[in-house]
Amino acid sequence: MRLNWFSPLPPAPTDIAHFTVRVLSALRAHAEVTLWTDQAEWDSTLADYAEVRRYRVAQMPWAELNRGDMNVYNIGNNPNYHGAIWEVSQRQPGVVILHDYCLQELFYSLYLGPWQDLEAYLTQMEFYYGARGRADGAACYANKMRTMADLTERYPLTQLALEHALGALVHTQAAYASLSNAHTMPLAYAPLPFVAQCNERPADTIALPPRPSAPPYRLIVFGYLGRNRRLAAVLEALAQLPAREQFRLHIFGQITDEQELRRAIRARDLARLVTVHGFVPEAGLERALAGAHLALNLRYPTMGEASGSQLRIWSHALPSLVTPVGWYATLPPDTVAFVRPEQEVADLSAHLTAFLADPAHFAVMGRKGRARYEQEHTPEQYAQALVSLLTEAQVYRPRAVWQETLARAAAQTAAWLDPTAAEAAQLQLAARKNQLLFGRSRVILSPLVSRQRALLRRAKRFVKRRLLRRLD
Amino acid sequence: MRILIATTHVPFIKGGAETHAAGLCAALRAAGHETEIVAVPFKWYPPEKILDHMLACRLLDLTEVAGTPVDLLIGLKFPAYLIPHPNKVLWILHQFRTAYELWDHPLGDLIYTPPGAQVRAAIRAADQQHIPEAKAVFANSRNVAQRLKYFCGLEAAPLYHPPPHAEQFYCAAGEDYLFFPSRLCRPKRQELVLAALAYTRQPVRVRFAGAPDTPDYADDLKLLARNFKVEQRVVWLGQVSDEEKLRLYAHALGVIYPPVDEDYGYVTLEAMLAAKPVITCTDAGGPLEFVVHDETGLIAAPTPEALARAMDQLWQDRTQARQWGQAGRAGYERMNISWAHVLRRLLA
Repeated sequence: MRLNWFSPLPPAPTDIAHFTVRVLSALRAHAEVTLWTDQAEWDSTLADYAEVRRYRVAQMPWAELNRGDMNVYNIGNNPNYHGAIWEVSQRQPGVVILHDYCLQELFYSLYLGPWQDLEAYLTQMEFYYGARGRADGAACYANKMRTMADLTERYPLTQLALEHALGALVHTQAAYASLSNAHTMPLAYAPLPFVAQCNERPADTIALPPRPSAPPYRLIVFGYLGRNRRLAAVLEALAQLPAREQFRLHIFGQITDEQELRRAIRARDLARLVTVHGFVPEAGLERALAGAHLALNLRYPTMGEASGSQLRIWSHALPSLVTPVGWYATLPPDTVAFVRPEQEVADLSAHLTAFLADPAHFAVMGRKGRARYEQEHTPEQYAQALVSLLTEAQVYRPRAVWQETLARAAAQTAAWLDPTAAEAAQLQLAARKNQLLFGRSRVILSPLVSRQRALLRRAKRFVKRRLLRRLD
Repeated sequence: MRILIATTHVPFIKGGAETHAAGLCAALRAAGHETEIVAVPFKWYPPEKILDHMLACRLLDLTEVAGTPVDLLIGLKFPAYLIPHPNKVLWILHQFRTAYELWDHPLGDLIYTPPGAQVRAAIRAADQQHIPEAKAVFANSRNVAQRLKYFCGLEAAPLYHPPPHAEQFYCAAGEDYLFFPSRLCRPKRQELVLAALAYTRQPVRVRFAGAPDTPDYADDLKLLARNFKVEQRVVWLGQVSDEEKLRLYAHALGVIYPPVDEDYGYVTLEAMLAAKPVITCTDAGGPLEFVVHDETGLIAAPTPEALARAMDQLWQDRTQARQWGQAGRAGYERMNISWAHVLRRLLA
């Protein structure tokens, strides 16, 4: 099987890039993989697993892609890494791996950021969620980000991410159940693959991490740090904690609003206890995780999918605090400690106090997490599940294209059915959506490319005319 | 019997398929059957349109007309051969070639489109499902039958038919030209012949007869002849009358016909009927079922150099050319290619 794999690649600072490396190591036993990226640079060691090809959405080599058996699109919420991938998926169907179930943030960011296409965004919202979805989308835009969290939960736009898909793979059973009700395409659930990074010994032989047992204890937060990562609550809990001097909080990763974070740290007089490292190279983050005592991996609202960062935490047998929503709510309580969204500060304070009282209890929690995921999250199991799904998707391919043909035919005949006012409005909405080209009101080639093409066409016409004149 | 011939027609383009349908219709009428041609217009781009046409064909009802049953439907071309009928015989001229042997080929276009793989899968699935609905499946040639077997695992019996006006072909003394009658289009490879002319050592001349599929392509060929500096050795006759075509065959030194994987190819048979040797290529498809190398013509590799050598050989040895032409005519007689034979098989 020949696969075209679209994903962010290392050194892009996203766990999905690492996920791709983890999966490829096992997938190459089943398939010949070509990695497609719009990044300017990628880790040269990827060549050990697969050929890497760079693409531009406006100039896709369709024949090369068509020579493969299936395209695999990795879709998550970061518009920088997944915007172009989604655009390609709209042009050429394939199997989608959903790294987030709620993808409102991806589309909101794309439509209202680089694409500057509010009307197309609102049309998509109306198509999937009716007039209410359109109104709420418009309200969110008018009020900037104030209601973004609400929007994400109520209007996940998962269906938009899966338009034209030939199959989907998700990392939680909840997402699988939800999609099963709405789709006829092949679906699969497979737990995120895990690779032990810091300690190759079996879980039952792992000693307590070789970390200093005396305070101050190192807390760590890392990843793509948007509002849903609850840093404000973490700072508040730390500030309120009488024994706060026993902890040091280290923050790693890309921070949505670093200035606001630093202001909050100063306002709570935590500058001495909190260090903002920002983005650091992989090796630096690995060292920090190896030396940490407790990870704070909160997410609210959650985007619904399993977390690569949680597996990374477990790979270090590191105990962690998580929000019991989405995939995290399904985790066994002896592998993580839960922080309820409605009681965030209180729960954080309680867990930190408990940690000070019995750090060994938390260390055991980290070990159990690692043991569980060593058993259930092997890349080999993941690769097998994916290959089964891809095989099903190949069989499904004609059915998918016929469903779209039938939808076109239905649209052609709908006007003859004497529609009610509501049906007519729905038809108009569908027509407006169909007028979007690859989901957008307009697809603009860069002025340079357009100009080059126009010049080339003129030059060809000129040469031909001149030669024909001489011939006659 | 009341018989309908279901075929596909690209408006304004006339080629072998149209001639084939007309010939079959005339033969059936001559045999006393009430016969009509149902030609479904066809457009293959954007690729989704192919599916629309397939669906349209499946929705057609040709089981009866004005209360009178249609006794037999003979399907010739994709997607018209998908039209359902309880008594259907297929005589497949070819499948939708860019979904099969021309998928990843310089002449293929479907592979260059984003939904190409989807549409190809849908076409193949439909062929697999609906071709076996017919009570009998014939192919235009052994080449077409082999493709059907290779790609779809379906059996079809090759069934040859005579070219139009088969009885009117005649032979005259060969003059100083090779004849290349065909639509001007890339699959027929007029470009290859122009390139080969540049390599010939003899003053070989070629007369091309046939209309271009697009006006632009005729211009392109003229430019190419100029670039190869062979424009003085070629004549572009355009569309010629049947009478003129017979005369051009009769007076040619030989016929050159190097298409890419041709389904059947009237030109080969017409050359044999006119007792003219044929130069073709190893990848020409249908013509290879009739041309015997060094007996009725020459089969060259599809390169300008190899084709030039074959052209030079024929040009130099006129006696041999004449003998090969006569052997071709005799071969045609032995093959029992007739409409009577075709009707016996189709109506059995």
